[in-house]
Amino acid sequence: MPPSIHPVDLIAALRLKHLTPAIVFLTSRRACDEAMESFDHADIVLPPARQEIIAAALDRVIAHYPSVAEHPLIPTVRRIGVAAHHAGHLPSWKIAIEELMRQGCLDAVFATTTLAAGVDFPARTVVITQSSIRKSRDFTDLTIGEVQQIAGRAGRRGKDQVGFAVITPSPYIDLGVLTKGLTGHPESIDSQFTITYPMVLNLLKAHPHEQIQGILAKSFAQFQLNQRAELLERKLDTLHVQMEPYGPRLCSDWITQWQTFDQARRQRPHRQHVKQQESPELTARFHFMTSGRVVGLARGRGIVLRQYRSKGQRNPMISVLRPDGAVTECPAATVAEIFDRAFECDETSAFPWCSAASFDELHYQLTELPTRLPTLPILVPKESDPLPDAIVQSLGDFPCPTCSSRPACQKDVVVASRLRQEQQRHTKSIQALRASLWHRFQERVEVLQKFGYLTPSAHLTDDGEWARLIRIDHSLLITELIRAEAFAGADPALLTGVMASIAHDDDRPGAFPRISTGLSSLLGQVRKLAESLSPYEDPPLLRADIAAVAERWIADPTLTWIGLCRLTTMAEGDIYRLLARTLEFLSQIHTLHGTHPSLADSAAKAIALIRRGVLEELP
Amino acid sequence: MTIDELERLLAQQPVAVLHRLARGRVHRHFRAGKRRLIELLLQHSSQNLAGLESDVQALLAERQGQPQPPPASTRTAHRAPSPPQKRVPHRGGEPESSEPAVSLAGWLEGLGVPAPQPFVPDPWQQEALAALSETDVVVSVPTGSGKTYVAVEAARRAMEDNRTVIYTSPLKALSNTKFTEFSKIFGADKVGILTGDRQENGQAPLLIMTTEILRNLLYDAASGEIDVRLDTLGLVILDESQYIADPERGVVWEETIIFCPSQAKLLLLSASIGNPQDIADWLTSIRQTTSRLVRHSKRTVPLRAGYLHPNGKLAPLFKTAAIPAGHPNHLHPEAKRLFLEYEEETMPSGRSRR
Repeated sequence: MPPSIHPVDLIAALRLKHLTPAIVFLTSRRACDEAMESFDHADIVLPPARQEIIAAALDRVIAHYPSVAEHPLIPTVRRIGVAAHHAGHLPSWKIAIEELMRQGCLDAVFATTTLAAGVDFPARTVVITQSSIRKSRDFTDLTIGEVQQIAGRAGRRGKDQVGFAVITPSPYIDLGVLTKGLTGHPESIDSQFTITYPMVLNLLKAHPHEQIQGILAKSFAQFQLNQRAELLERKLDTLHVQMEPYGPRLCSDWITQWQTFDQARRQRPHRQHVKQQESPELTARFHFMTSGRVVGLARGRGIVLRQYRSKGQRNPMISVLRPDGAVTECPAATVAEIFDRAFECDETSAFPWCSAASFDELHYQLTELPTRLPTLPILVPKESDPLPDAIVQSLGDFPCPTCSSRPACQKDVVVASRLRQEQQRHTKSIQALRASLWHRFQERVEVLQKFGYLTPSAHLTDDGEWARLIRIDHSLLITELIRAEAFAGADPALLTGVMASIAHDDDRPGAFPRISTGLSSLLGQVRKLAESLSPYEDPPLLRADIAAVAERWIADPTLTWIGLCRLTTMAEGDIYRLLARTLEFLSQIHTLHGTHPSLADSAAKAIALIRRGVLEELP
Repeated sequence: MTIDELERLLAQQPVAVLHRLARGRVHRHFRAGKRRLIELLLQHSSQNLAGLESDVQALLAERQGQPQPPPASTRTAHRAPSPPQKRVPHRGGEPESSEPAVSLAGWLEGLGVPAPQPFVPDPWQQEALAALSETDVVVSVPTGSGKTYVAVEAARRAMEDNRTVIYTSPLKALSNTKFTEFSKIFGADKVGILTGDRQENGQAPLLIMTTEILRNLLYDAASGEIDVRLDTLGLVILDESQYIADPERGVVWEETIIFCPSQAKLLLLSASIGNPQDIADWLTSIRQTTSRLVRHSKRTVPLRAGYLHPNGKLAPLFKTAAIPAGHPNHLHPEAKRLFLEYEEETMPSGRSRR
């Protein structure tokens, strides 16, 4: 049996049961592409009438979006009525496929589960082939909400009486995750509120510093923190009730009093105890008795071959090679000296614990050793400090031994101290929950003050006034670059290159065009700056190869889209997204035309140059 | 159904059903007894009785539909004489043979195109629209139950009052789709789009944008840059607002909601989430009016789950045709058997299954 159903068989099976049109969710883009390839020689072609309908629908879309016409998947779409739809495709292609799906022309679309939220077209059937998706680096199980989001695409209103979610297994599938997802109640969602630098600047621009705490309190984050705080407060209330019988006694803070007394009382006999454990000195020295080390024993020297622990008592032991060639076992405690001399030793797991060659070598070395050898200076950690003598001596001064409530104290102290500890813990966490957002805000304010975007009285400086207009990721890096005049006189291509490398956050490897020397030295500076900013803001990837792709597109206006795609191994859709995101970053820089006219001008030129070919055709 | 009738209906249900209804509606419902639970249910959904009612009906229907697994003997008997099925035959529009097991036929029953019906809005859709004339509304319904209809109608009503409407979606692709869709409905001159790199018809009464763009507009307005569009703003529709839990971008939704001008109504459309009541409570706590939660879990087009074996054999996934909510282990014996077989065969040799 194959590990998973062949795409051709899958479509045939769905057609047989009239379960088309279907959306098939696969693990990766590559899986989608391979599924499409497998239809190249399939004989499950559509009847000519339907092929014509698809062709006509395609022609209508192509009239709007010419870039669709050259897509390599078109023959398969026409012949068999299946298509792939994932982030590696151009938006125009995705729109075309969505349009065909809406018109009911296609039998199946292969999509990636990662993009399930972006798949905004329904079908009669949804095919699920996996129970986990890749998030950042790892595979995580689908949540109930995600499974329902995926399954929710099944069943078109007005076109289907029922929708079907069909699970077909592939390796590593966990059926439990999917059945739970289908039948379960979706998870609660939690706020992901973070405080960003542009947020701080914009808040402080519009509101005085004292009002900000009130604004932060309006966030969903604070709402949820308050919910948790209220829960804790209720717990605190019950703790208060439970604490009532343990109120003040003869001394007001009897719990602390008793604890100190108890500790002092325990400390004294403890010191007379015979230590069962090995001494700290031995522990420290044992680390140095590694194989090859020369040690001094009561009678003569030896070379350590291995260290181990004895079976019963787990005493530290070593196997030693003696000058007469014997291998003896002795407790590590009997080692008198550890010398500052060690030899290479090729360890093995069985007697004589090293290879024959190194055994002979060690034996030779041992006999050749000079009579005087330096010993290793080994620092021995001091024993933990006992209670200050003052307390121990004042044991007689404790009122407890003669106190009338002593039996009661002794009985209650365990429960009472646990309750009090819990009380203190809850109080602390309530404080943290109530104030954490404000603290995080203050941290950001301090950073911005340090860099000179805010005055010490938390007003915007001149730099802050324009910096608040940069409201994108890595805003601190970008504003610092502008202040350092990194782009002074830089032409649009360089600016675009740098912005693209800041905007791109994907580490998919690939082959890319060569980078120009000007851009590469500029990127070097950007990297240095990003490095120095890393305590305050996570540095972007700053990939030179990505910068080169964007630079090429700007620097060479005759370059066609196909030409650009041939320069790299990046998928079309990824290049498109890279340029679109770069556009967004550039248009943010363009908003600075009031304060940085030449930079804004350069950004405007870059924007105009980016928008051509495929990028002009589409939103 | 009046409150009294609903209360009587609830009282007839076993307490387990009530607890399922209370999930997400009543905080710490597992503590309450039956009497108290009914009270709490009615009290907490006094704003949204229709939603509660539809959930009750859905649960009832599901419970009635449950005990009907067909006897295994008839199924095997039925299958024996039929010829072995050939793999991957292409039969375009042929009627399918009566080959599959009885239960599979039952599972596939109803497949097909419904007779065209005049569009009648669901009660929850009407409820959401009615509530929107007074206050902010949070809608949490399953994917594909017709949130767009609410958005379109709400936008139409606001535009009739000469109010500006802003519609935001999390993804640029979705914005584009909606732009095309809304342009068809309202006419191209009424709809504009603003995304990070595209601006078209920016003064139209219905503006579609990504949430980030709206957040930026609100920030600019707060710092004194006057934008006429925000003065006449009557309605802000945040689609896919479950994105508020997105680790990277969720904060943008919060900022948008916090700074949304108070004269504009908020309409939050979200897929099914576990705690829509929290979102509604939060809105109530920061906005001037008590916001309304409209939720239900019943799908417009019922969903069924199936299992397709790599050898092409199809079986229902669950014992019942409908998906048994809350019972992930009510698997169809056939699907269970096939999956075990699959696991045995694909597991690396020398390792046992558990």
